[in-house]
Amino acid sequence: MIKRPFIERIKPFLYLLPFIISVTLFTLYPIVNVIRMSFLEGYKYLTGAYTGVGFGNYEKVINDPYFRQAISNTFKYVLLVVPISTVIAVILANVLNQKIKFQGFFQTCYFLPMVTSSLAVGLSWRFMFNDKYGVINYLLTLLGIDPVTFLGNPSGNFLALVIFGIWAILPNTIILLLSGLQNIDPLYYTAAKVDGAKTLRIFFRITVPLLAPTIMLVIIINMISTFKMYHELFPLFNGPGVAYNLFTVVYYIYYEFRVLTPPKYGYASAAAVMLLVIVFVFTMLQRAVQAWSRKERGEDVKQVKKHRDALR
Amino acid sequence: MKIRLENIVKRFDDNTAVDDFSAVIESGELVTLLGPSGCGKSTMLNMLSGILYPTEGKIYFDEDDVTYMSSEKRGVGLVFQNYALYPHMTVLENICFPLEIKKVPKKERIEKAKKMAELVHVETMLNRKPGQLSGGQQQRVAIARALVKEPRLLLLDEPLSNLDARLRIEMREEIRRIQLETGVTTIFVTHDQEEAMSISDHIILMKLGVLQQYDKPQYLYDQPANCFVADFLGNPPINKVEGVVKGGKVLLGPNEEDSLVRTDNVPDGTPVYLSFRSESVILDDKSPLRARVVLTSVMGKEIITSFVLAGKEVRGYMNSDVELQRDQEIGIRFKKTGVFVFDRESGERYL
Repeated sequence: MIKRPFIERIKPFLYLLPFIISVTLFTLYPIVNVIRMSFLEGYKYLTGAYTGVGFGNYEKVINDPYFRQAISNTFKYVLLVVPISTVIAVILANVLNQKIKFQGFFQTCYFLPMVTSSLAVGLSWRFMFNDKYGVINYLLTLLGIDPVTFLGNPSGNFLALVIFGIWAILPNTIILLLSGLQNIDPLYYTAAKVDGAKTLRIFFRITVPLLAPTIMLVIIINMISTFKMYHELFPLFNGPGVAYNLFTVVYYIYYEFRVLTPPKYGYASAAAVMLLVIVFVFTMLQRAVQAWSRKERGEDVKQVKKHRDALR
Repeated sequence: MKIRLENIVKRFDDNTAVDDFSAVIESGELVTLLGPSGCGKSTMLNMLSGILYPTEGKIYFDEDDVTYMSSEKRGVGLVFQNYALYPHMTVLENICFPLEIKKVPKKERIEKAKKMAELVHVETMLNRKPGQLSGGQQQRVAIARALVKEPRLLLLDEPLSNLDARLRIEMREEIRRIQLETGVTTIFVTHDQEEAMSISDHIILMKLGVLQQYDKPQYLYDQPANCFVADFLGNPPINKVEGVVKGGKVLLGPNEEDSLVRTDNVPDGTPVYLSFRSESVILDDKSPLRARVVLTSVMGKEIITSFVLAGKEVRGYMNSDVELQRDQEIGIRFKKTGVFVFDRESGERYL
């Protein structure tokens, strides 16, 4: 065999180099470094000095009442925002998928939040949530419900955050669901209509089951993004609520890292690693569920092949 | 159930898909709507199922005017070309679904569905999903689903076109068997003339939205109403040679050879087609009508010979004991049956 010249042999690697460098530098190195820092006790970023190695940071973080509050807030937020926004999005996506008048107008309306800055829109929500002049409380009083102190009082803070969170997450969710809806063969609806099925039955017995894979995907994507929620806190409260009552996990990381002086790099890193593990577990869970639902739908390629072979 | 269609017209904007269509379909028959794509047969089917409403005309099921009645009230069962089985439901659930809509109690539903599954021979795969079935099996399930609510009319929209050739023959026999067993009035849409010939009690042949002929299959073949009908039916396709009528004789080609075919009451000089079936040619050495052999090919038990007649290549089944050679000159004449004369412009039949 003729040995190819050296330059020829390393050429493929040269082509790969920019990618490898950027991934290493901007993705792998930070992750590895965060994991490393999470085990270094009393770490000083500038000098690189530390007092010990171990689970000390984790112990501290887990016993920190702010972190416990952050975990509880984050889970509560995810468990409220994800299901509610999914249900609303499925209904709205269905409406937008119908041939209605002004379809373009409605679609634009629902997708507007996506193209606007969430900070700017967040500020206008701040006005809407206002205790005395806000439009939301005005509507509530019209309905005969007592006004809620959304922003000024810790008890209303979380509710305001959830409402804002649902609103902010809807457009993405609707777009994904719409694409899922458009993949459903309209023939199924015709078939059901010829058999006399009404709108509600078609929705629950045909649309929703056929949309299930997309709904699943949407739930997982939204779960991951809501677990990482923190920037919604700024336009509404300039921080974690009026009484330091709205810590979320990512805000906690930010807080330990940026707000405190001197910064607690170790604590922040330990919290980040724990969040990574939580999100990772949920992602794995989602993949398992997806594989299971695919099998349920009889899309298992091997199985179909086996049946076809058996027929021959 | 007897179906009466009276002067049906269906227009889409400026486009007339079905034009002045009238027919009566007798109860318990299997009638095929046949025609090339774009002939309006699927539009006609959709009007029968209530998916579309006609622009003009009336549709009667027995004595009921159903012209503008919605699908679910008509009591029709519909089988789609690609079956449209709900992929997330099992075979049993699919068959049960029309009964579920009708709010039939669950126990009775399952009982009826199982009976239907037996009729179409899918009773062993009730718990499978459509994705795990072959095309033919899916087709059977689709038929069971259409029949389970005991429709007055079964509509099949090109039900065999997604199947491979062998399965198609098997399934069309199955459809016929199921239809005869249930006695349900059935309308079958296809563009495949062979399928239509083999399965139907009557065929309605359409072209560009206009009914061409409505007859028994054999009659359609033996006595085509016009040139289009003759062209559309038969495999191999009917042979067509250009000619002209002079003194009651049909003369072929530029040299005006006498075809020995006679037509009365056609004015001299009328341009015509002499159309003849491949089985209507007889080898006759004494005949003055001469032709030249191009090719002989064995098709199963028969031998088909291509030959040039009046400058046009045509085909015929010759019962010759001797093997015909390429470029050999032969004499031919035509049988009394399977030979037609059509007007070259209007397609009107003279003989």
